[in-house]
Amino acid sequence: MLNCIVEALALAGTLLPLVVALPLMGALAIGARLVAGVHGDDSEPATAGLARGAGLASLLLLAALSVGSFAATAKGTQAFGEWFAAPGFAVNLSFASDTQSLLLALVVAFLGWVTLVFSTNYLHREAGFHRFFLAMCLFLAGMQLIVLSGNAVLGFIGWELCGLSSWLLIGFSDERPLATGNALFAFLANRIGDAGFLLAIGLAYWWVGSAEWSAIASGSLPETVKARMLALGLVTAALAKSAQLPFTPWIARALEGPTPSSAVFYGAVMVHAGVILLIRIEPLLLQVPDMMIALAFAGLATAVYGWLCGRVQSDVKSALVYATVMQVGLMVAACGFGWFEFAAWHLALHALWRGYQFLMAPSYLLLAPRPASLPPSLTQNVPLYTAVLQGFWLDRLARGLLLRPTLSLGHDMRRLDDRVIDRLLGVPQESHRGLAMSGNGVAGRALTVLSEWLQLVEDRLVLQSGGGAMTRGLRRVGDAIRVLEGLLEEPRYLMLMVMATFAVIL
Amino acid sequence: MSHHAAEPTTLRERLAAWVAHLEHVLPAQAPIRNFVHHNTLHGLQHLPFPEALAEAQRITGARPWLEESRCRELLAEGRIARADLEAALDESLAGDEVADLDTEIVPGGRIRDVVLIGLLHDLSPVSAARLQWLLHESDALTRPVSGGVQVGDLPALWQACGDVLGLQPAPQPASELEALFRTPAESMDDEGGAEDDAGWQIGARALWSMLVGRLGREWTLSALLERLTGENVLEEVRPTLIRHLAAHLDLGMSSWRNPKRAQGFYAAWRASAAADIGWELDEWLAAREEIARLPDDPLETIERELMHLGPDEAHWGDYLERLALELPGWSGMFLWRDRRGGAPGAGSGDEAPVPVAMADYLAVRLVLERVCCEELVHRIWGLPLFLSELGDHFLFHPAELKVRHDFFAGLLDEADAHEARRLIAGDPDTAHWERLAAKIGTRRYSREPQRWPLFLLSQHLGLDAAALRAAGPATADALLDALGRLDATARGFVWLQAYERHYREQIFAALTRNHGRRVPAGDVSAAPAAQCVFCMDDREEGTRRHLEEVNPAIETFGAAGFFGVPMYWVGLDDSAPTALCPVVVTPANEVREVPVAGAESIAASRRVRRALRLEWQNRLHRATRDGTLSAPLLAMLAAPFGALAMALQSLAPAWLGELLRRRREAFDRPLATQAAIGGDRQAPLAANARAGFSDDEQAERVAGFLRTLGLTQRFAPLVVVVGHGSNSLNNPHAAAYDCGACSGRHGGPNARVLAAMANRAEVRARLAERGIVIPDATWFLGCEHNTGDESIAWYDLAALPAARQADFDALVRDLGEATRRHAIERCRRFASAPFAASAPPAAGRALRHLLARRHDWSQARPELGHATVATAFIGRRTMSRGAFFDRRAFLISYDPGDDDGRILEAILLAAGPVGAGISLEYYFSTVDNPRFGCGSKITHNLTGLFGVMEGASSDLRTGLPQQMIEIHEPMRLLVVLEQTRAVVSAIYHRQPPLQELIGNGWIVVAAKEPESGEISRFDPVRGWLPWSPSAAEVPHARDSAAWLGTHREPLPPALLVPEGTPC
Repeated sequence: MLNCIVEALALAGTLLPLVVALPLMGALAIGARLVAGVHGDDSEPATAGLARGAGLASLLLLAALSVGSFAATAKGTQAFGEWFAAPGFAVNLSFASDTQSLLLALVVAFLGWVTLVFSTNYLHREAGFHRFFLAMCLFLAGMQLIVLSGNAVLGFIGWELCGLSSWLLIGFSDERPLATGNALFAFLANRIGDAGFLLAIGLAYWWVGSAEWSAIASGSLPETVKARMLALGLVTAALAKSAQLPFTPWIARALEGPTPSSAVFYGAVMVHAGVILLIRIEPLLLQVPDMMIALAFAGLATAVYGWLCGRVQSDVKSALVYATVMQVGLMVAACGFGWFEFAAWHLALHALWRGYQFLMAPSYLLLAPRPASLPPSLTQNVPLYTAVLQGFWLDRLARGLLLRPTLSLGHDMRRLDDRVIDRLLGVPQESHRGLAMSGNGVAGRALTVLSEWLQLVEDRLVLQSGGGAMTRGLRRVGDAIRVLEGLLEEPRYLMLMVMATFAVIL
Repeated sequence: MSHHAAEPTTLRERLAAWVAHLEHVLPAQAPIRNFVHHNTLHGLQHLPFPEALAEAQRITGARPWLEESRCRELLAEGRIARADLEAALDESLAGDEVADLDTEIVPGGRIRDVVLIGLLHDLSPVSAARLQWLLHESDALTRPVSGGVQVGDLPALWQACGDVLGLQPAPQPASELEALFRTPAESMDDEGGAEDDAGWQIGARALWSMLVGRLGREWTLSALLERLTGENVLEEVRPTLIRHLAAHLDLGMSSWRNPKRAQGFYAAWRASAAADIGWELDEWLAAREEIARLPDDPLETIERELMHLGPDEAHWGDYLERLALELPGWSGMFLWRDRRGGAPGAGSGDEAPVPVAMADYLAVRLVLERVCCEELVHRIWGLPLFLSELGDHFLFHPAELKVRHDFFAGLLDEADAHEARRLIAGDPDTAHWERLAAKIGTRRYSREPQRWPLFLLSQHLGLDAAALRAAGPATADALLDALGRLDATARGFVWLQAYERHYREQIFAALTRNHGRRVPAGDVSAAPAAQCVFCMDDREEGTRRHLEEVNPAIETFGAAGFFGVPMYWVGLDDSAPTALCPVVVTPANEVREVPVAGAESIAASRRVRRALRLEWQNRLHRATRDGTLSAPLLAMLAAPFGALAMALQSLAPAWLGELLRRRREAFDRPLATQAAIGGDRQAPLAANARAGFSDDEQAERVAGFLRTLGLTQRFAPLVVVVGHGSNSLNNPHAAAYDCGACSGRHGGPNARVLAAMANRAEVRARLAERGIVIPDATWFLGCEHNTGDESIAWYDLAALPAARQADFDALVRDLGEATRRHAIERCRRFASAPFAASAPPAAGRALRHLLARRHDWSQARPELGHATVATAFIGRRTMSRGAFFDRRAFLISYDPGDDDGRILEAILLAAGPVGAGISLEYYFSTVDNPRFGCGSKITHNLTGLFGVMEGASSDLRTGLPQQMIEIHEPMRLLVVLEQTRAVVSAIYHRQPPLQELIGNGWIVVAAKEPESGEISRFDPVRGWLPWSPSAAEVPHARDSAAWLGTHREPLPPALLVPEGTPC
């Protein structure tokens, strides 16, 4: 009898990829409905049903698997085949099936399902109803990939799915510029973490020869330098996703979305992804104690930062999100101290409670907890109050150091385009119109475009040379070079050059 | 400066006047827990309705009329008929213009026809790009326009339209190759002739004085600069400003406030802004020092900054108004608190009032405005912020002004805009600017945009190419002139009147057919089985109709839901008194709920247990949010319960909600209480109020109430007073679902107090002296009807005489059946209700659905509130009894035979503003929900316990959320009074508030003659307009259920004729 159950559960173990695949299929189906142009009240139950069905099925599957994992002896990673491979490079479809991963996945699936049920009523008749459920399904698939992936590549795909869906939902009210602007801010801030993750994957293939978590984290890297580089990439990714210092400002701007998505992303689930990653690479981190110290430091600093900032917030979503940031800071610090098991428990329980609290946020008028009083020595200090109210200006710093140079860079590129390249060719784009030539198919059209372009260059530079187009062109090149020189003297380009150099020598 | 310093009071007084004026333009919404419906444009109520709406549109930019495309949809759906539109058109073009309307422009085409075509079809000019698409990609030139007349050759007609408008065909380049060789610069040279130079330069210089002239009157300086640079300078500082504002007004969210908060907003902001190194990070180096050097007195700052910003002194007040309107929600909340001495509002607990002065806010706004504009002007032009300097700059660079203005005003076509964008991005070469300015300046205004409307209009009028050419350019102009006859306001008003007329005709017809119908109440001389007095609320129309259907021997009444008892109420568990009466009334008496004799010990234990429960709830939510080490610990301990709650909320919200409610009540220890109407030993909590009512006061209240109802004889054995309220979860706007006549609270206590008063022998004796004899066998009962889940909670049943027990049991049965039927009726408007296409749900399922809505934390529409309310009947119930009004009518009982007009006057004065406020708030929130309403609930973020924002740094959102108005039909309230026209006219002439409300057209009033049943509508200009019934039959049905069937759309009024009775 017992054997039968164990066997059945072992069989169920082979269904593990379904946990990810189900929400993904849900997203696909909803996407198909969106493309088909469904709208109106009647179209809502099917969309919500698809998402909820997928969510519930993966929840039940995970429940069965979690029970099974206590009974079964096989633990660790299960491979379900190879996705693609090249010499020295293989990506496996491997999934973690240890008890801890399964339990974390269970929590994620539960919160996901609750949020989907909640949203069915809550988003009724919203213009973006279907879009919301599509993004939620993508998010669930991505989050489960982060929790359950057996290797860094799959994990990274999950990482990106979460980033994408988070961007989609912060900008849910796409008619409000503030919402879309903040969506972009959060998206860009997360790109730094993604760069770290990608770097780590590259290094893993280069040094370890595999991106399996077990290989990365197994301590097979004898040189501490290499281990440190690898860990650095992943820790950066973790800190960015979990909104730890210095990345915290993005999460305060991420509250533009519908309440259920704010709850599940920034209150309960996604904000913990960084900690999940840290727990996953525990052996690697243990190899580099200085990284652990840095983690403990970042976590504690974030906890203090989150606590201070949370004290001055006068809106319920910000107050809750800073409370979350603070607790996640404590989890990161716990990882730094080496208490990974504790961090995992804290994470799961905190996610459940905060999810509940965040979904109840509109009730705060009724719950209205009276705030605790603080010591006057703290609260009577105007400069400190201002610093806390402004989140220690991290937001401004990020804008000054990252956003503005990027924008200026884009601005300069456009100017280069306008001033130099367009004038060199002297072409307004409209003049392509009306040319008689046309081709069929992709190849034909490509040929058409190419020939048009060649003809234009010819027109401009050769045929018009009598009219001085060539001479004018040359003079403009001279101008352009002077402009370029001027630009290169500006500090941001100097920075760019330096960064490019570093990228080459590293 | 010295001139002003010599008479400082003058500026203070002028400022006070400006601030007072702001009350006319800013939203006046109280902190959200005290949400009470009011006219969104209350400040403009002194103007006639269309004028007020046009003014609101001018000031706020919101659209006060329903979108025309939606109106046309309503026409297609049959909610407006063509005849309604024609009648409304006649009515709106009253007077001498009507004759003019019949002037024939073309054969078969009077001005009236053209105007009507312009309303029925979208004939607005289209953009050049869209025109290209219509002509080349759509079948506009091959298929006749729908609804038009076949006119043959469409391309020829299109050509003819161009010809009569005097349009020349665009010059075509000789060949593609030639086009290729013409660079933009060259073509510019061709067009920008030297001889045209002077023209545009003079124009550009005049443009500057025009722009500066609008400063203050229409624009702030930042708005002016936005028109020249495309940059809104406040974008950068707005989030910080909002953070400071929220922190200052906060009623209990944050634990750490600005240390200088007690000195007012200006001082607090200044201290913090002067310590804010954010200015340096934004590279605004001098800002911090400047802020530190600002004068201490906000008034002085206001004067200095206004002088610096440079609007004409006569327009300073306007300038401040424009400034305040940039964040209307926040400005409005600041002003609301300012007007009430900073008071946080009733019932918000122990919060000490902070100083909230509008002058503080305006001073801060002005400083920010100046600092930001200074930065912008310096960055773009390298100039200091003085209008004269900027003016000088444009005097020498008129081309720049011209290009900037036309570009940001969206006047340029695509190629010019591209070039302009390039110049604005940074091109110091004056020659480039001048070339483009000359090119723009010489472009003649074309009549091309009018061609498309003329083309469509010709098709609707059946004019073919030949006919149009024959008619000639003058006729074409006349046609286009007729098409533009109505401006946006007039169009909006015509559509509104047509919409209103459609429903009004149905109501009048139903009321007329219902007049004098033998109401199946049995023998009218016998006393009824019971009499139930409900709130006038439109939601009770359904309850009353079903109750009368269940038991025709029951009589129902309607009255404003405070039942004539304005009071402060202190419930058993309340720590502060709540005013239960319309907002405009200040109660003089306070009533407490106290334990019945002998229950004092239970009460004491209840107090302790309840405090304990709330303390732990508070501690849990607080500590998990702002604790240090307790936060993780408590959150981890609470997590399993949170998870369980989430699972149950998702699976069985109703079951969980009821379980928790029962557990809470059991824990607190249930307790029998009574209302201490005669006063209590304790001193009243409310300032300026007396504890309880004296016997004389009680008699006066009860007598006034009964007389108002017209219930002074034929008392039934049971008279039940039914207050109402609504419960919902996770709903910051909960107060908007409660009783409007009780300031957005539950009205149960008023019903309870009135019933208790009317049962006292002392009161009855005094009533008898006044001629109202209540038989000893009659017993009054109070209860509260929950409009969410249809449950009824009874008060003081222990005192019910044994002799009335049987009557009571019967009544409870009838009420139960009525609310069950009502639940089914309500389900038809909920999309998620179990409402099959073939049959409505069974009563049990419908009730369970309503219960689940109430307890479901994910339900953004716990009920539909006053959505669809459209009319109010003030008169005897016989006027509307036996007819179906789809829960769309306020029903107010009033006996016309018993009155010289004084009672009606009092009713109108009390219920008029309440009804108008509800209907108008729904109207405005519906027609432009993003601006008059507060948008969708789903992104709302509760702020400072006083309002909601979208996300974490938006304006404070006022008005109704989208979820409350989706099915509302925005029209003005039609008030039908059962009284003679003479009496109504007399009241109207006596009462200025009613002249404002009715005379300015904020509500529409009609009188129904009590004897003959004739109906006349009151027109403020033309006086009484008798209504004549049309031949159309009013629909009949056996009962409500039969008429409702499985319909889910709005249903017209119908007469309910039980089988076997003559109609």
